[in-house]
Amino acid sequence: MLTMRDTHTAFDTCHPAVPATYFAATGCIAIFAMQPVCVGISLAGALAFSFASRGWRRTLAGLRWQLPMVALVAVANPLFSASGSTLLARLGPMAIYQESIAYGACAGALLVAVVLWFEGAACVLTQDRLLQLGARALPTVTLATSMAAQLVPQLMRRSQAVRAATLATTAAAPAGSRARGVRVADQLMSWSMEDSIERSDAMRARGWGATDRRSCYLPDSFRTADAIALAGIALLAAASALLACVACSQWRFYPTMPRLVAWWGYLPYVALVLLPTALDLGQRIRWGRVA
Amino acid sequence: MNALEFGDVSFSYPATGAEPHPTPVLEHASLLVPEGAFALLTGGTGSGKSTLLRLAKPEVAPTGALAGRVLAFGRDVRTLSSVESARAVGLVFQSPDSQIVCDTVWHEMAFGLENLGTPAPQMRRRVAETCMFFGMEPWFRRQTASLSGGQRQMLALAATLAMRPRLLLLDEPTSMLDPVAEKDFLAMLFRANRELGVTVVVATHAPASMRDVATCAFRVEDGRVRELSLDEAVAACAFRPEDVARPVGRTGACGSRPALSLRDTWFRYGRDADWVLRGLDLAAPQGEVTSVVGGNGSGKTTLLQLACGVLAPQRGRLSRPHAASQAYLPQSPRAILSAQTVREELMLWSRGAGYGEAEVTAMMGRLGLSGVAARNPLDLSGGQQQLVAFAKLLLTRPGLLILDEPTKGLDAAARTRLARLVQELRGEGCSVLLATHDLAFVSAVADSVSMLFDGAVTCTEGPDEFLAGSWLYHA
Repeated sequence: MLTMRDTHTAFDTCHPAVPATYFAATGCIAIFAMQPVCVGISLAGALAFSFASRGWRRTLAGLRWQLPMVALVAVANPLFSASGSTLLARLGPMAIYQESIAYGACAGALLVAVVLWFEGAACVLTQDRLLQLGARALPTVTLATSMAAQLVPQLMRRSQAVRAATLATTAAAPAGSRARGVRVADQLMSWSMEDSIERSDAMRARGWGATDRRSCYLPDSFRTADAIALAGIALLAAASALLACVACSQWRFYPTMPRLVAWWGYLPYVALVLLPTALDLGQRIRWGRVA
Repeated sequence: MNALEFGDVSFSYPATGAEPHPTPVLEHASLLVPEGAFALLTGGTGSGKSTLLRLAKPEVAPTGALAGRVLAFGRDVRTLSSVESARAVGLVFQSPDSQIVCDTVWHEMAFGLENLGTPAPQMRRRVAETCMFFGMEPWFRRQTASLSGGQRQMLALAATLAMRPRLLLLDEPTSMLDPVAEKDFLAMLFRANRELGVTVVVATHAPASMRDVATCAFRVEDGRVRELSLDEAVAACAFRPEDVARPVGRTGACGSRPALSLRDTWFRYGRDADWVLRGLDLAAPQGEVTSVVGGNGSGKTTLLQLACGVLAPQRGRLSRPHAASQAYLPQSPRAILSAQTVREELMLWSRGAGYGEAEVTAMMGRLGLSGVAARNPLDLSGGQQQLVAFAKLLLTRPGLLILDEPTKGLDAAARTRLARLVQELRGEGCSVLLATHDLAFVSAVADSVSMLFDGAVTCTEGPDEFLAGSWLYHA
């Protein structure tokens, strides 16, 4: 979550604006294109990138809860929306239609795909890269986020220390788990308040508030190559969005589902979702290992 | 020219309801630090060293009545603009945890320069040069939260030097570091002084480690500042183990069951983590003071938390006959202090542990805390905070005291007081297990020293024997 980038994967050598645009566009299309083929493409792309960037172990660990979720949504949907035309079964007063199950399965798969895209984005756009994006436009928000981000791990470490100190002196240890929680929270609060006074002194000692205009240190620069990549991604994403829109307009779940046909129009979207996986694979091949 | 000059400075904090006529912290104090010097500002905790340093930096100067001249490079610091002050005078604080502002090392390095509105190309160059000087390239892109205490303190120093101040003030910069990290930090500070020509003023209560690099020394005492030789300054701050009379003979029930024992203990924090302890054996005899020494990250704190029962070993046998009457002092007293006044603080556990006002008053008298009963514990000096935390533990009448780095950040007087207290408790039959880097303290109080290395106890000896045979440790 808050760790440094530990893997080298797609978009490693780009300015963070490039992956940010890519994942924003791909995520948006994935959310709105509620059509079986589009959902399938997006899910396949997201899974492929998850295997490439996060490794099979973490991806499979995620699927352990994601697959049951798809099944749950598929089963639950007919219970809430009894529409469709192909009757499968009757549960008392409820009719279960094939279309309704298909809709549920499609929605579940879409949800999983979106989750996977977010996880992939988090893997590429680590917090320090993300913060660089906003640095010029929202300097104060960026700084505040940066400060908060470094306080979270500190707070976690301290809560362990406080918990240990609270429980270890047995004669005084609070009895219930609630009393213990209150004592730990209380202790952490007073410790943090005390710290914040010292931190604000340290900030002022280093010129905080000395000028109205702060300048901004950005370790990565935006180059022509980044602009070209950005334009390419925008173009591909726009084409995919347009074609996905066409595909969705010709598709309906209720009352009956039309037949799905092979169509060239899916190709740009396929190219878009497989792009990061291809970049990752290309890099692996260059380094001589595909594993 | 003088880098820093205090001429006849008097300062007192504003009057409050509790203290209508506060005693002045500084009275007609004068001090001259020539440019390029490495000056030590010594004195016990609470002697006014920090106040003196902060007066040279108006942005963080305490509120109160100030009379006299405070000049940096010949200019009154109060006439400097905030930008000029930030450029000319840098200030590094004590705590590695609370002075880091940003989440990444590069952002922390740039923070001060960003504040001054330094143009990007110049900023890049300064950050780059400072990082090269400090050899920080390997961790330039790391998260600050993942750094060790020593690295964080080094980062605080580097981030201040990136602003290229000509005068650097440091307030107890190494008191929270272990001896190895302290040496690294001081080596860098020394290089900054000699190679970059930065004038350095360090406020410290433990000047011995800086004896060889310093060029002059001052002592703050009773509101006055006097210059003295380096040897005198070190001697005046030294902790003498011989001041604490070590009782001879064993007071406890010798040969009986140990107060605590761990056998073949294995512990790690996670499934994929490395073993912290690998088959550790340790026994703390009843009625004795058992001390554990070892490098940073050798597992001392883990060992103590296992001894408390807060952590459970993955393998091994623990015997804790005092499980119901133990007390644990964490590394930072802030982890157990939270009330508004010292008296309230000591009353917090009264219901659970079954004591009353009378015991609290007696305990404050015993530890010399009666004078600060109405003060906020977190406003006290480090030594007094530690004593308050200690008093809180003693009120539970423990049979086994477990202390984690009890002398961290304490001056010689506080260490002496603590050592005497530990001796008294031992005399009353209390068993003590302590982990520390402070061998002088160990030689004053401990019955045995165990050295922790590679997750196990390497040797256990009496303190004199241990020090005599050690290549690394000196009292």
